[in-house]
Amino acid sequence: MRHSDYAKKITMSIAKPLLDYAKSLRPRKGFTQSFSAFKRLIKYHRRYYWFIVAIVILAAVRSILFSLEPLYTTFIIINVIGPPSNTSLLWGYLLVIVMAGVGYAISNFVLILVHGVMSQYIVRDIRAEYYCSLQGKSFSFYDSVGVGDLTSRATVDLQLVDSFLRTWLGTVLNAVFFAIIIIVIIYPISPIMTLISMATMPLIFYFTTRLWLETMPLFRNMQLILGRLSSYIQQNIVGMKTVRIFRREKDIVDGFKEVENVYVNTAISAGKIQSIYMPLGPAILTLGIALVYVYAGYSLGIPGSALAVAQVGDIILFARYMMRLTFPIRDLSQTLGTWVIAYAGLERVLEITDAPRNVEDLPDAKDIKIEKGKLELENVTFGYVKDRPVLNNVTFTVEPGEKIAILGATGSGKSSLIYLIPRFYGIQSGSIKIDGTDIRQFKLDSLRRQIGVVLQDVFLFSGTIKENIAFGKPDASIGEIVQAAKAARIHDYIESLPCGYDTPVGERGLTLSGGQKQRITIARALVTNPRILIMDDSLSFVDAKTEQEIQSAIEEATKTRTTLIIAQRFSTIKTAKKILVLENGSIAEFGTHDELIAKNGVYKKVYETQFIQKASPILEEAGGA
Amino acid sequence: MSGSYGTFSTKQEERRKRTVPDRVMIRRVYEYAQAHRRNLIIGISATITGALTGLASPYMHAIAIDQIITPKNLAGFIWWIPLFAAVILGNYLLQYIQTYQMRVVGENVVAKMRDDMMEKLQVISLRYFSEGEIGRIISRPTNDANTVRIFLRLGLTSILIDVSSILGSFAIMFFLDLRLALLAISILPVALVLVWYLGKYSRAAYRKTLITTSGLTARMQEDLAGIKVTQAYAQEQETEKKFLKSQDENVKATIRAILIGSSYTPFVIGLRLIGTMIILFFGVTAVLNGAITLGILVAFTEYQFSYFMPLVDLVSMYDQYQSAMSAIERMFDVIDTKVEVLDAPSERSIVL
Repeated sequence: MRHSDYAKKITMSIAKPLLDYAKSLRPRKGFTQSFSAFKRLIKYHRRYYWFIVAIVILAAVRSILFSLEPLYTTFIIINVIGPPSNTSLLWGYLLVIVMAGVGYAISNFVLILVHGVMSQYIVRDIRAEYYCSLQGKSFSFYDSVGVGDLTSRATVDLQLVDSFLRTWLGTVLNAVFFAIIIIVIIYPISPIMTLISMATMPLIFYFTTRLWLETMPLFRNMQLILGRLSSYIQQNIVGMKTVRIFRREKDIVDGFKEVENVYVNTAISAGKIQSIYMPLGPAILTLGIALVYVYAGYSLGIPGSALAVAQVGDIILFARYMMRLTFPIRDLSQTLGTWVIAYAGLERVLEITDAPRNVEDLPDAKDIKIEKGKLELENVTFGYVKDRPVLNNVTFTVEPGEKIAILGATGSGKSSLIYLIPRFYGIQSGSIKIDGTDIRQFKLDSLRRQIGVVLQDVFLFSGTIKENIAFGKPDASIGEIVQAAKAARIHDYIESLPCGYDTPVGERGLTLSGGQKQRITIARALVTNPRILIMDDSLSFVDAKTEQEIQSAIEEATKTRTTLIIAQRFSTIKTAKKILVLENGSIAEFGTHDELIAKNGVYKKVYETQFIQKASPILEEAGGA
Repeated sequence: MSGSYGTFSTKQEERRKRTVPDRVMIRRVYEYAQAHRRNLIIGISATITGALTGLASPYMHAIAIDQIITPKNLAGFIWWIPLFAAVILGNYLLQYIQTYQMRVVGENVVAKMRDDMMEKLQVISLRYFSEGEIGRIISRPTNDANTVRIFLRLGLTSILIDVSSILGSFAIMFFLDLRLALLAISILPVALVLVWYLGKYSRAAYRKTLITTSGLTARMQEDLAGIKVTQAYAQEQETEKKFLKSQDENVKATIRAILIGSSYTPFVIGLRLIGTMIILFFGVTAVLNGAITLGILVAFTEYQFSYFMPLVDLVSMYDQYQSAMSAIERMFDVIDTKVEVLDAPSERSIVL
């Protein structure tokens, strides 16, 4: 064991779930799953049935041409070398061999190409379906799955599927056709020798199946562990600052090593099984040749037996065909090996594609224009997990143009509450109405286009500032963009940049500060001129000047719009028409500042302890979730 | 900043050509394999002897034809069959040992390198984890480690087997008949030039698919990171359109690579065919003259097959070898990063 007890105890907290997961994976009979995954994969081939027809024809031609070379070499041995020798026939036979070879080369080339193109189309279809399904998944899906994991499924895992798709059908057909052709050619020469040489086939088939059945669950587990390990690494790297602050470096590495250990052990067990079965097929087949020789030798010794008159050339033909057959057999077992790995990859992709969307358009959903922006919530109950509500029977009304500041501790359900309005999550019971119409009557598209959203996480896409501001309205005029930027108090800064609105930002562009990003996201929300605005203003730890600028931006943005804002700053709360205090998923207090102060409840306490005494107005959860 | 040891190379530097010579990296990977030296030695010996015993089988057929079947000297089977069975069995055992031992070495080496990388990542300066660099860092212990693992699992043994098959075939052919052997390898220079030249095109095409694939990955990564924004603004269809477009580019590049990559197989098969013709033409004359036996002629056609195919395989391995080497270089790049004791906070690491 390479870990001390101390390390182990600590590891429990970080890598324990991952380790438990890795250990919980039992080698199970994956045959049925694999079979249904295969059926699913076949379905993706349907659109390309012309490709399949072409592959079948090409594979048949290729096998026939491939079998001609040993046959004509034998003719040379029998008829040219003799006895009696007849060299005049040599050129004719050589010509056939050349022509068959050229034909083989061409059909082989076309087959690889057709097969490769088909595989690319199918991978494209699977990836497109996967990607499009991701666009429709609700926020709760993204709360639970990492971006790195999702990306690696569409790339690494699909690559595994691709390497199977590139050759599988051709290889299977090659083995089948070649075996049939050999039987057709050698059977007339000697039925008994044919039977003897084919006697080993069931054994080969048996061991190949064993290989498949025994390694498949292991490879599946390896793929699943690898996927989890990748997200573990990703989380570690993305959250490196947090790791350093809490000095968890050693635990992270120790935990990683332990899971990696499980992976290595699984990989080695799989390797052991592979090393036993993989070289077995060709070995058995070659031993079959020895059987043919024994029989041939035995019959040659008996005068008058069928083979006594047979020629040496025939025996060589048998031996050569058997040797040639080892190649398709080896390819076949390799293809099965690729399938075992591809299957694990495919399973990981389809798992996501098939995951429910959670939030969808109702069949009779319509495009509805929001005229006023009145918001009514009635007995709204919502939870991420069933029976564990985060919001409980929430009821309140917001008149058009009103600004509501939402206050509450971490976990009180603030974010959940505002994210229910654009249906990022689906409510479990109750109703949310905009201008008297239930939000489920809206088409998702039409609902979301009319609600401006400023998320807590200020994300900008790679692209110019202009493109980012116009994200929700790609056809916005430059005037509209500038207007939104001015309202968000970011226009002057943008103008000060050398390329102005065309400055690239995001992953490959200029690095902006948190405050600047937030104002761009506010501009992005304003460019569509929404009637309703929801804002998650959890940005803290900013300097006084930025604070003031953001404040001013929010003020301007929310002037005429129905707004729900999660507030951190007293200045925001002060300008709100009403304040809603959430406690454990229920409304504790709801009213104007003066009303709530008079009420002498939670709000008053928070107001006195947080906003009056402290210089910097930060709630207890200042760091953000 | 230089790309040498001690500093973690930046995005710009990574695009440059590799700087560390292969032998340096091979030596360093070998150091990692030291802990499993016994497995490594057994594995490599089994691989080489396995490839060589594999070559014995056509020669055994030649003996059977010449010494047993043709002269109808059936008593010969009494020693031939057990010997043949022993060769096959020995070959099987060697392949078993080779596959297993090399797997043990490969998995452990990659795991150890990965562990070292993870350890290093926890202590190097936080400035390496700046925005835009994260994806690249993540790919080193994940994608790069995977590339190396696959190479060690399949590529390395293939290279060993191919090289020993080629050399072994040559040796046997020269042993069987000098003249015919010279004829058989007369096409070798042409084959090498052709395969190398065509291989270059195919590698270039392949590299292009790698670039479009990484572009696709980057796009996907970003799209998903911003998915909540996309949904909030109901821009799913726009994003989908853009993604599908960049995927189509990737599909096109890959199909092109398949076309170029497979276009050299007909030439290779053609060349092999010429080789077979030469052997058959001169071989038949030689058999009729009594210069060689029929068994040797049959064996030659097989050995020609068993040196030519590994040759093609070897060339196609070149790419795998190259990408494994660059992956190894990137992994060592992280492992070798110097630890700065004081972590000076960078101006852009926190806020404003």
